[in-house]
Amino acid sequence: MKKPNQTTMILLAGALTLALLIAFGAFFTWWSLASPRKTCLSCHEMQTNYDNWADSYHRDINCKSCHGGALSNGWHSMLENGRRVVGHFSGNSRPELAMQEEQILRILPRCKGCHEAEYADWQAGGHSVTYADIYLDATHNHTEQPHNDCMRCHGMFFSGNIAEIVTPVNNQGPWRFVDAEKAEQPVIPCLACHHIHRPGQPAQAPDYAEPQMIASTRPARLVNVEFYVRSEKTHFAAADLPALKLWEGARPVQVSDDVRQRVCSQCHAPDAWHQAGTSDDRTPRGVHEGLSCLACHAPHKHETAQSCGNCHPALSNCGLDVKVMDTTFRDPASKNNIHFAKCADCHKDGRTSTRKAG
Amino acid sequence: MTVNDISRRRFIGQTAAGLGVVSLLGCSAHFSHWRFFTEEEAKLVEAITGQIIPADDDPGAIEAGVVFYIDKQLVGPLAAYQADYRRGLPLLQHTCRKMFGKTFLELKWEEQTTVLKALESGNVDQQEWGEQSPQRFFSLLRDHTMQGFYGSPRHGGNRNYISYKMLDLDMPYIIGQNRYRQS
Repeated sequence: MKKPNQTTMILLAGALTLALLIAFGAFFTWWSLASPRKTCLSCHEMQTNYDNWADSYHRDINCKSCHGGALSNGWHSMLENGRRVVGHFSGNSRPELAMQEEQILRILPRCKGCHEAEYADWQAGGHSVTYADIYLDATHNHTEQPHNDCMRCHGMFFSGNIAEIVTPVNNQGPWRFVDAEKAEQPVIPCLACHHIHRPGQPAQAPDYAEPQMIASTRPARLVNVEFYVRSEKTHFAAADLPALKLWEGARPVQVSDDVRQRVCSQCHAPDAWHQAGTSDDRTPRGVHEGLSCLACHAPHKHETAQSCGNCHPALSNCGLDVKVMDTTFRDPASKNNIHFAKCADCHKDGRTSTRKAG
Repeated sequence: MTVNDISRRRFIGQTAAGLGVVSLLGCSAHFSHWRFFTEEEAKLVEAITGQIIPADDDPGAIEAGVVFYIDKQLVGPLAAYQADYRRGLPLLQHTCRKMFGKTFLELKWEEQTTVLKALESGNVDQQEWGEQSPQRFFSLLRDHTMQGFYGSPRHGGNRNYISYKMLDLDMPYIIGQNRYRQS
């Protein structure tokens, strides 16, 4: 056989490289555009996760957009996948695919990619609180030592126990993080209240051909909040969470039937006896009894600044401009807590001195 | 043919074809919802659980997803019972055919109940069941159904706390913290 000369070898090598590049490009394009059933699912054993996603309102967003690619999640991810391969062939597979906290937190900026306004509101609100804000709060820790139950609402995706977050676990301190990187991590990320694979339809533009029909034909907006229950390691739809039963002494308090409020009640909850105003309960009573949290608190940012104007002064029973009243809306130290203010707080004898007769 | 006889063109072609076949095999792999059961077994077990805890005013074992609990636990803490299911389910089907000439899923509701009662009382052809006790197998099915229906959802059943709602238990608990008060 005649030995090929150097030019032929170079040409062949070049042609082979070009062919490989074209093949790789074609494969990559297909891989990026094909259904996850044919790509991700061909290796990852996560049929249930796939089915949930395929039925979800995020079904138009491919896996990679939120979860990243096989190589983009670092060594930890590759190591985990490697363990799963070993487990698969050794018959010791772990069927549950649950994301670790670091993977959850890595998704946050990807949420921001589409929900920028909501992300900005979350950052500006109280729910963007960090591990440092919660677990290094000396005032709190001196009164009540850090406990595993804190993670029910603060750090619900952390898989370890309290001793793996903060040390020492006592009420003496001084406290510091076991892993210093935790300090700036949020303890209530988006996924605490949102289930990305929640069933639903992707948002669609209305039919502008008949503008007058847009309002009447628009599908009802579904409740889009869920709560991640740490003990069960899963999300519960707001409608599947229990409605709060609350008492003020022996009197049952009327609680809003807004199912979204059930998510709030999971953390802003009364004590075990469900007495109104105990523990972190903020359920409206008094003049605001029966109102939903969402009647005043805007989603994500939870600000209330503009909410009074939604009802007042039209609904004011005493003719006062409530926006200038002495309430916690203007002054946190006010004795007239907006959540609990009653008519009798001002009208001790049951009569008004501010409203003129006639 | 020796290695030296293989031309570059043939080598590249065969390598590409091999890679293609491997890729296709990987991409066409079929994955099941089930960890232990086959599709047929899962349907059968689901129907049995529905007989043990049927839906009435409240949802039953089927709505609670009890079969997912059993399937999940059989590759975990209940792995010791795998053989009981693998032997017992075909024997149950055999009993159905012998009693009614149909499989369990083809039977009417009352006929399914009759078969399960026969199992519970041991009133079946003992020769067919051999060493496997029909009473013990029924007891196993009943226990696992109860566990899946009344246990925590994290074990695979009791979907959305269905049984806890039936019992009017508030789960997850609504309970605050022992919050200190600054006066």
